Amino acid sequence: MSKRDQLVSNPPVAEVSKPRVQPGYYPGFSTMAQERFWDAATRRVVRQRVNGDKPIRFFTPDEERTMRSVVDRIIPQDDRVKARQVDLLAGIDERLFERRLEGYRYADMPPDQDAYRLAAKAFEQMAREEHGLSFHQLGTLDRERLLKSVHDAEPKSAKGIWKLLNIERFWTMLVSDCCGVYYAHPWVWDEIGFGGPAYPRGYMRLEEGEPEPWEVQELRYEWAAPPDTLTDREEAHGTGQEHQTHPGQGGTH
Amino acid sequence: MSTEDLLPLGGRFEEPDDAPGEKRLGAMQTIQIPRRRFRDTDVLDFAIVGVGSAGGVLLQRLARAGFRVVGFEAGPFWDTERDWVSDEAGSHKLYWNDLRITGGEHPLALGANNSGKGVGGGSVHWAAFTPRFHPSDFEVYTRDGVGADWPLTYEDIEPYYGLLEREMPVAGPAWFPWGKPHGYPYGPHPLGGVGDTLVKGCTKLGIPVCAGGPVAILSASHGDRPHCIYRGFCIQACKVGAKASTLVTHVPDALKCGAEIRDCCMVSRVSLDRYGLTDGVHYFDAQGREHFQRARTVIVCGYALETPRLLLNSACPGHEQGLANSSGTLGKYLMAQAGNVILGRFEELVRMYKAPPAHALTEEFYETDPKRDFARGFAVQTVAPLPIAFARQMMAAKGLWGWGLRRAMMDYNHWSTLGVLGEILPWEDNRIEIADGHDGRHNAQDRFGLPVAQVTFRLHDNDKRLIEFGKAKVMEIMSAAGALEVAQESRYAHLVGGCRMSLTPETGVCDKFGRTWDVPNLFVMDGSVMPTQGSANPGLTIQALAARTADHLISCPDHVTKRSFDEPPCRKELSPPGTFGRGVPHVA
Repeated sequence: MSKRDQLVSNPPVAEVSKPRVQPGYYPGFSTMAQERFWDAATRRVVRQRVNGDKPIRFFTPDEERTMRSVVDRIIPQDDRVKARQVDLLAGIDERLFERRLEGYRYADMPPDQDAYRLAAKAFEQMAREEHGLSFHQLGTLDRERLLKSVHDAEPKSAKGIWKLLNIERFWTMLVSDCCGVYYAHPWVWDEIGFGGPAYPRGYMRLEEGEPEPWEVQELRYEWAAPPDTLTDREEAHGTGQEHQTHPGQGGTH
Repeated sequence: MSTEDLLPLGGRFEEPDDAPGEKRLGAMQTIQIPRRRFRDTDVLDFAIVGVGSAGGVLLQRLARAGFRVVGFEAGPFWDTERDWVSDEAGSHKLYWNDLRITGGEHPLALGANNSGKGVGGGSVHWAAFTPRFHPSDFEVYTRDGVGADWPLTYEDIEPYYGLLEREMPVAGPAWFPWGKPHGYPYGPHPLGGVGDTLVKGCTKLGIPVCAGGPVAILSASHGDRPHCIYRGFCIQACKVGAKASTLVTHVPDALKCGAEIRDCCMVSRVSLDRYGLTDGVHYFDAQGREHFQRARTVIVCGYALETPRLLLNSACPGHEQGLANSSGTLGKYLMAQAGNVILGRFEELVRMYKAPPAHALTEEFYETDPKRDFARGFAVQTVAPLPIAFARQMMAAKGLWGWGLRRAMMDYNHWSTLGVLGEILPWEDNRIEIADGHDGRHNAQDRFGLPVAQVTFRLHDNDKRLIEFGKAKVMEIMSAAGALEVAQESRYAHLVGGCRMSLTPETGVCDKFGRTWDVPNLFVMDGSVMPTQGSANPGLTIQALAARTADHLISCPDHVTKRSFDEPPCRKELSPPGTFGRGVPHVA
């Protein structure tokens, strides 16, 4: 079977319950396969993300257990085979351990490190108060409901801890940090069809969303999130504006 | 596969040899960094604090004119091949990431959003849009009764716009219709997906629009700088060397002309002698040792947060409220621009990661329109976030997380983004202070024990109305371009003000050349001197103001003792070689 045939024979509907090596609409696309066209400094930085396990140095074992089951719901990866999942918590841990700041702290927030420790404690206490279990022992839906209450800035428990920080800013930092790890990974660039590093070669086909000769065509398929999750439903996110409590973080212009 | 198995592609792009003192500036340029040229005990003509947009230009001008000048830079002198990467997360070190406190009703995001650290400063990671200010920007108070007037006019700065547009140089259309019409010396860039969106949407609505610039990115090679390769990593710093930063445009000539740059050196205070004049700066070197450098004149170019912070931290007897603060305005009238991003999802693919994010705009809504319920206006510009920034926008704009976020991000290539760039007026309560623990302020120090900056910001009614209108207008453009779904993220861009220039000593920190009213041989020159900001990205105006101040200093050899308000002659012969007179615009 030729490569092109393989692409076309991709099933039109995918079930997340059957994990894939590479989810997304760009079957066969691999940014890492292009690494010989990148400059040495970039190659080194990107390779470090793919190679090797990263140690947990900031979080305690208890905090690690809780926070792993938190970030696992912020960016779920059940559709990825284990070997192709991105270690979100290790990336966050590295930032906190190395005391890497984004250049500022909100006047109504403790230092990032303290905020994460407080939050780990709060998540655990919420699980205890509302379910009588440890956070990591909860099922997907229960964990998501607790997280949703934090997303909405309306936690029903552990209020004493959440009072110590601005809960909306914490939520934004948590999701931002997860995005900063997940969408920095070349496997995820493959998932979303991002071309990745492009120096010294550059891009040639700028208009009409056309792929470079080394990129692939999009091949869309319908997929459904697992039935035991609420984050693929509209209600999990709200209408947007009501949730934007502080300005965007990135430099775009 | 190990690195050794990979065939090198074009040797010069590979890892450079470790030649001591040699730095790569872009793919083609290599320079030798000279060692120390001056001792701390030498009396410099000029000590420049911060080698960014303004500091880089001042250093080059003053060195070329023969002065003894040192630029102090808190960050490193980059080697662009070794230190910069074609990668979003890996570019973190380009920003001022040290602690700052941000608060108020509408707190500003700092760090990556609006600061630089390292030689070249913010010009290393700006998107490089280079619109001029409009003539109206210099007389906002006279025209609209809000904000402030500048102590100079458009005509005073106009020759410097023309000069810097060639020195960078700027690519753009032959006819730029807004403000005072003019043209650009280098040809416009081809459009990427986001530019197509803007042109399509504006055309549908009958809104004039300009494509391919103005942007300080080479559309053709220029001296030892290659043309743009459209890789889209502009705000992660241009490894190609095609995008202008003072690191590649002015610093090499400054060093050639005898300037010294002390990188990784953090100036901690400006010193005053017993006559109330400055006699130099205290600074920490890379090893954390403290030094004192003598200088006849000090020019602070640390941008809108670090400049006021340094002057506040330099308080001394006679200047208890901060150096050059007899007016009480130091740190006040801080401005950010409204930078709302409007995101549109399209049926067809966009792939917005290709081409420079900055390449098309309209200034049709720039001026005050009596039919609207607010003063001043906004521009609409292309932006093109890479995956991490875009994921965070999806979170902010739509409240997404979990599977919803994953699903939206799988459509990354179907989204296009446009930015509002709206004028927020200068308000006294928008300010920078130091986190010294007094009067309810935070208590936080950097690694040298210096109090950090604390920023307080809120929108006033005019700003809110302007943002609402601008947002709605750009959403209309996005829909007209054919977007199936439109979302928006509130954010801010740029930072100016805090040391504003003024006509009189009572109303600002410095005069129209950046000379502080209180200390005649202390200058401020960077975005912080701006009384208002228009809806134009500030980079070009900062560099133009810096070149004009250099001409002022060169024209007044006795400037230490004598304040002059005469407009200096524009010295085109001080442009870096091979820039002036090259790339002649169709409409000058």
